[in-house]
Amino acid sequence: MTDRGLELVGLTCERGGRALVDRVSLNVDAGELLVLVGASGSGKTTTLKMINRLVEPTAGEVRIGGRRNDDEPAHLLRRRIGYVFQQVGLFPHLTVAENVAVTPVLLGWARERIRARVDELLALVQLEPARFRERLPAELSGGEQQRVGIARALAAEPPLVLLDEPFGALDPLTRETLQEAFGALQRELKLTAVFVTHDVVEAVLLADRIAVLRGGRLLQVGTASELRRTPADPDVAALMATPQRQAQALATRLGGSNA
Amino acid sequence: MARLNVEQALSQLPPLLAAHLQLAAAALLVGALVAFPLGVWATRRPRLLAPVLLLASVIQTVPGLALLAVMVPLLVWIGALVAPLGVGVRAIGFLPAFLALTLYSLLPMLRNTVAGIRGVDPAVREAARGVGMTDRQQLLRVELPLALPTLVAGLRTATVWTVGMATLSTPVGAPSLGNLIFAGLQTRDTAAVLVGCAAAATLALVLDGLVRAVEIGLTRRRRGITIVAAAALLLLLAGALLPLARRSEANAAAQRPVTFGAKPFTEQLILAELMAAQVQARTSAPTRILPALGSTVAWDALRAGTLDAYVDYTGTLWATVLHRKDQLERHALLRETANELAHRFGVEVVGPLGFENTYALAMTDARASALGVHRISDLAPHAASMEVGGDYELFGRPEWRAIRGTYGLHFSAERAMDPSLMYQAIAAGEVDLIGAYSTDGRIAALHLRLLEDDRHVIPPYDAVLLARPRLRGERPQVWTALRELVGRIDQGTMQRLNLAVDEQHRPPGEAARAFLRQASDRPQVFQR
Repeated sequence: MTDRGLELVGLTCERGGRALVDRVSLNVDAGELLVLVGASGSGKTTTLKMINRLVEPTAGEVRIGGRRNDDEPAHLLRRRIGYVFQQVGLFPHLTVAENVAVTPVLLGWARERIRARVDELLALVQLEPARFRERLPAELSGGEQQRVGIARALAAEPPLVLLDEPFGALDPLTRETLQEAFGALQRELKLTAVFVTHDVVEAVLLADRIAVLRGGRLLQVGTASELRRTPADPDVAALMATPQRQAQALATRLGGSNA
Repeated sequence: MARLNVEQALSQLPPLLAAHLQLAAAALLVGALVAFPLGVWATRRPRLLAPVLLLASVIQTVPGLALLAVMVPLLVWIGALVAPLGVGVRAIGFLPAFLALTLYSLLPMLRNTVAGIRGVDPAVREAARGVGMTDRQQLLRVELPLALPTLVAGLRTATVWTVGMATLSTPVGAPSLGNLIFAGLQTRDTAAVLVGCAAAATLALVLDGLVRAVEIGLTRRRRGITIVAAAALLLLLAGALLPLARRSEANAAAQRPVTFGAKPFTEQLILAELMAAQVQARTSAPTRILPALGSTVAWDALRAGTLDAYVDYTGTLWATVLHRKDQLERHALLRETANELAHRFGVEVVGPLGFENTYALAMTDARASALGVHRISDLAPHAASMEVGGDYELFGRPEWRAIRGTYGLHFSAERAMDPSLMYQAIAAGEVDLIGAYSTDGRIAALHLRLLEDDRHVIPPYDAVLLARPRLRGERPQVWTALRELVGRIDQGTMQRLNLAVDEQHRPPGEAARAFLRQASDRPQVFQR
């Protein structure tokens, strides 16, 4: 990946005459983590899936490192893009090691290299390789499964990682642990990543920059503090105020019950 | 009640078991080769899914016996189509049974393939695409392994169904464990029925168990179990299928056995054995008997040349083959039938055997005497309070309509049942009257009275020996041997032979050979 990172230009997806995503243009720099936030139906997941062509756009284009994402077969493109999503989707008939090794195997890596890489990744997501390598997904907790999901996405050293509400289905404590772990990992590996969530707190904690979507349209892109200080739209302002609003409400309730 | 002769039934078991396994294994193998790819393909093309599954379901709803029987005229028709190309199609025997069983095995495998693949978690499917698998890799590495237990379950269902249904292939001339069951039911040989059923059930369970063991080995990654179970399964299948390959080679070289057919009742079995024994004695040609053929199956097979000879009845041929409704006197009917069969189908009436086997209304002597009934017309005042039993065909046949119409009889109930049960029913007083067969040995044994057809409604049913087209020219010694049987069996003889098998439980072949020995001591005893 060059410094040009990821570029979305007028990206549009129409289904049945309705635009799910409407002319979205934005750039993600190399090594940057961009979070797409928005309510359900805002088009954030569709936007993400058009990047690795799980959904084909009806107009506009995606460039990765300056190269259009539709100039090669979709399956080859996807091998170069890590992908993590909410339901994890581990292959239930494969062991943890085999799940992590899926993309390297598809790419034809040598067996020794794959073995070493699997152990390295399991350690990276804080799963002790010797204990977890041979387990089946059904034997793991939800948090452990998603750690394996992240390891699988990173296995082939992709220049770009897409995450679709990866921690949405986890309990709050596990979610917090994984958010921290992933944040550290992303900074350490300088991952270029697009992260979809509807949780503004998560967005603020993880994002270099945040893109806010509503009804398929991009409202504003910027750092969390930029969005907070100079919102381009009342909805952006309302959205960015939610963490604080919630914190105040909580303080009142907790304080009130104590008094 | 039938005497249990397990030993005799067991002695017939090995070749029938092997034939049964051959048939079922071949059908399952081909069925699997069709159903699994077809199922996978259908999941790739959602528009085809519904029609494919519908077709398989429709096949499944056809009763097994009917599906088998329908293959025979179908193959005769195909045979006629391809005959100009010099290709021969065997309309009875292995081929129709194999085709029907293959079709029958499709549904469970097809449906489970579709269900298994569609049952894969959409999240897992999206993950497969997301990590960069091609459609093919997604199918082979994710969908099929995950669907495997469902696929195997389909195979197991198909295995049990096919092994079970293979017992029904006897009527289309394919030997199977059904031979024991059908012949046993006809001759009331309970041992044969039990041995046949037990063997079929055991075979189904063993095959099912082995397939299951392979599955367990695969899913639990236990190589030992997989190898042992797969080896046992392959050995079993190879043992069954190899002789098949050898046989088809051998068949091409060696002389084809002279093949006789029998419809599914005792008299027909005896007559087939009689013809076979006679031909063996006179020509030493190898012979073969296909027992329990459906009525039209036997005729179609003879026309197509798969059977060399069988015995049919003039009244039956007149109505069901020649589709004639006019009534002729006995001898005229015989002449006209022979002319028509020769002219229209090339089938030769070698000659009448010397007896008639007609439907005849029968009552117990005691009841008939009490009511003073001797002739069918005497029934008129009593019919409304009488229940009549008959075989599966009787109440649909034109002569039954003629009897009711001409004599003005309206019975309180008409109950169709298996012929052997029919005699038990009248003996037990469960029906008042039955449509008996005039040569049945049980008429005398059960003290039944045959009512006189005083208005001559029931057409003549002379037993005639039919030879396939060109038999006389191609195998003259066989033809001559069969010709010697003409006019040799009168009504009383046939009744005695039937009784020997039905009531005294002598094997049909033994009864037939005993008759031939006697007859050769006293040639031409029975004059027509």
